[in-house]
Formats: sequence, structure tokens, C-alpha cells
Amino acid sequence: MNCEEATKLMDGYLDRELDPVTNQAIEQHLRGCHDCEQAYKIHGSLIGAIGNATPYYKAPAGLHERIQLSLRAEIGQRPVTNGLRDRAQVLRKKPRNVLLEMPWNWLALAAAIILAAILASNLVPRLQRPGAEEFLATQLIASHVRSLMANHLTDVLSSDQHTVKPWLDARLDFAPPVVDLSPQGFPLVGGRLDYLDNRPVAALVYQRRKHFINLFVWRGETEGDKTTQPISRQGYQLVHWRDSDFNYWAVSDVNEKDLQEFKQLFEEHVASR
Amino acid sequence: MVAALKAEYAGDREDLESSAKIVKFALLKKQEEQDPTQEQELASFEEAMLPHMDAAHNLARWLLRNEQDAQDVVQEAYLRAFKSFGGFHGSNGRAWLLTIVRNTSYTLLKKNHAVDLTTTFDEEIHAAGDESASPAVLLEHSENAELIRIAMDELPAEFREILVLRHQEGLSYKEIADIAQIPPGTVMSRLARARGKLKEYLAARIGREI
Repeated sequence: MNCEEATKLMDGYLDRELDPVTNQAIEQHLRGCHDCEQAYKIHGSLIGAIGNATPYYKAPAGLHERIQLSLRAEIGQRPVTNGLRDRAQVLRKKPRNVLLEMPWNWLALAAAIILAAILASNLVPRLQRPGAEEFLATQLIASHVRSLMANHLTDVLSSDQHTVKPWLDARLDFAPPVVDLSPQGFPLVGGRLDYLDNRPVAALVYQRRKHFINLFVWRGETEGDKTTQPISRQGYQLVHWRDSDFNYWAVSDVNEKDLQEFKQLFEEHVASR
Repeated sequence: MVAALKAEYAGDREDLESSAKIVKFALLKKQEEQDPTQEQELASFEEAMLPHMDAAHNLARWLLRNEQDAQDVVQEAYLRAFKSFGGFHGSNGRAWLLTIVRNTSYTLLKKNHAVDLTTTFDEEIHAAGDESASPAVLLEHSENAELIRIAMDELPAEFREILVLRHQEGLSYKEIADIAQIPPGTVMSRLARARGKLKEYLAARIGREI
């Protein structure tokens, strides 16, 4: 490496954005070139100092509230129109929105986060208990992740339960329930065959916003509790339940609340069929 | 856009002032029905995006060099972000939001016919010349925030932007490329030019003062 190249790569090197081979080549050059070494040193300390001393303009008090108000106005008036004058009127009509702007709300949020952290930390040791359930959870997550990774989310891609169900029925020795929950915000994406716990299972794929939920269904002949505690691992949520015929495991990276809601909706729809 | 935004915000500010009075009534009032899915969406949007408000404001403030415009743009950007939240895939909320803040800022800069979008500057003002300070003197002054602020504000927007994203937000070249919508290979050279210019401006200022 010559001086010209070393100078060209100086910022990338100081920002640690170069590949190891180039880094080494530069370091080798610097060991033999006093001028470049000096230039690197000065440039490095200068940009470091400037970066630290550059004023950071934090959002002023009030901007938070203003933005939250306008967001609430946005959902309050979406059917009507745009323009903030209308928004302002909506705000007057919906004073309860103002409550959500109060500082205590943020305290409550902070408290909720801390509580969640405590609950999570209590939950972890239990989850690390080895056993069949643990093994199954690992399999479920692996299957979920694989389905998203390998571009093999669905074998049958349809939002129509009357397409997905016959497809699955024809390939399994049982007929898993398939319900459409799109009005409730969980549209059906499709279905897939999977193999879990030494048996073929049905995987129904639902969507929540941009997240996917894999619902694994198999015939329930296992004994034990009707439902087990929800499990949270590696950022994935697992929820299990059973009915008289089937075992259900829902796996997703949506939050636990959404997944519980999904479970409830699914159960309701199956029961009412 | 500015005039429209300002008229709008006048209305909002009234609301903020009267909000304290409204709270008491609100406590007594029955909650109105609202679309629950929209509320949920807003809740998850706020959870994901409100923590990045400082970053959003800082970038907008540096790009627009004006506090009022910066606040207007951040608000506008949050509204835009909320509307397209469905298209957000959940990996890097800050970078996603900053992209929208950046685009909204440029829209306003263009509307205001701000001519500094790319590298054009007055050679006379910025001529380094003989008065320019040496690296050692430069380093002595490198903690002078006010001096840096003035020199930064003189840089073209594309340089201010990249310096903020790297020095203040500590973003990777890849993230910067995504936000500034330039090829990843351009980030290093642009950053080098931005730093070079900033050093030059600082040296010229210090040279004139001492």
C-alpha cells in the first residue's frame, strides 16, 4: 500500500469500517511511514474531539406532547380528512386523548417495563429446566425460524380457509381447524406441512402487521395440563393450548399480548363452528 | 408547506395550553369508542418510534438550522412514519425514522429554495489562505462547541447530515447509506470530504480570530 491509498482509506480505517485484510495492510504501511502515521493520529483525535463537542439538539419539552396529540388526532379523524385545523377540532372533541400525554403515563410505562423485566427474569430459570417441553419449545422455535428463513413459509398460499383446510386434510390423517381471523387483524396467509415431535403436523400461518405467526396443530393424545404457561425465548413467544381434539402451539415474534389475543380469537372461532 | 404547517400548529398550541383544564373533565367523561386496532397500531408505533425523538430532532435541527422548522418537520415526519408504519419491518426503527426525517427535511429545504443541498459555498468566506490554523491549534479549539456549531452550519446539507449520522448517532456506513440514499461505497469518501471541509472551515475561523 502506498501513501495515496492509505490517505484515501483513512476515514474508513478510523471508523473501523474496513475489512480485516485492508486494516492489516494499512497498519503495515503506517509502521513504515511516519508521515501517514502522524496524519492518521491527528485526523483521528481531531474528528474524535469534534464529534464529542458537536452540540446535540435534544427534542425540547413539549415536542413529545405535540407529536402524541397529532398522532391521536390522526387516528381520530382519519375517515374525515386532512389538515390540522380539523385535527385541532378533533382534539377538542376527544379530550381524553390529553390524558395519554400526561407525564404519569410515562411513569406507568416505565413501571410496566420494569415489571415485565422482573417477570421475565423470574420466568427464565423455569424455562431453562430441561425436559420434554423444553425440547419441544426448541423444536417449535427452530421450525418457526426455518419457515421464515428458507423462503418456505407456506406450501399452500391462500388467505381462504376453504382452500387451506382441504389442502391440509388431504395430506394429514386428521383435519385441523382452519379459521380466518382477518377482520380481527390476524389474516390467514396459508398453510404448510411440518414435522414435529416425531409426527407430521399442520402449520397454519397467520400475519400480524408485518409479523408472522406459525400455529402448529396436531392431534392431541398427550396427557398433562390443558394449557401450559406461555414461554418467551430468544425474542419469540410461544403459547400452547388444547381442546378436545387438538394440541396447539402458536409461535411468533409478536408481543405476548397479541399472541394471547390470537389464541383467544382462535379458540372462540373454533368453538363457535 | 411552512405556512400551512404553522397555521396548523397555532391550533395545536392552544390545545396544549388548555390541556390542563381539560384533564379534569376528561376524568369525568366516559371513554369514547375508538377503533381498537388503530389504537393498538398507534401504541406499537409509539413504543417503537418515540424513543428516537431526540435523534429525529437533532438531525432535523442540523439540516434546517432553525428550531421552529425542525419541530415542524419532526412532527410531520412522525405523522408520515405512522401512516407507513405497516411497511416497516421492525429491524432498525431509528434508521427508518431518520430516513423519513431526512426526506421531510429536504422537502422543506427545497420548498424554501435553500441552495445548499450540495457542495456549493462561497470561496471568499471560506478561503483558508495563510491565516489558516495549524492542526495543533485546531486541536486546541476542537472542544469549542460554539465554534464547531458555526462551522458545521456553514457546510452543505449533505455534509451536515453525514456528520450528524456518524459522529452523533454512531451509525454504520451501511445505515448511513440507507438513510442518505447513497451507495455504500460513497459513504467513506463523502464522510472524508465532510470532515475535511469542517476542518478547513474551523481552521479558517480560528486563523482569523487569533
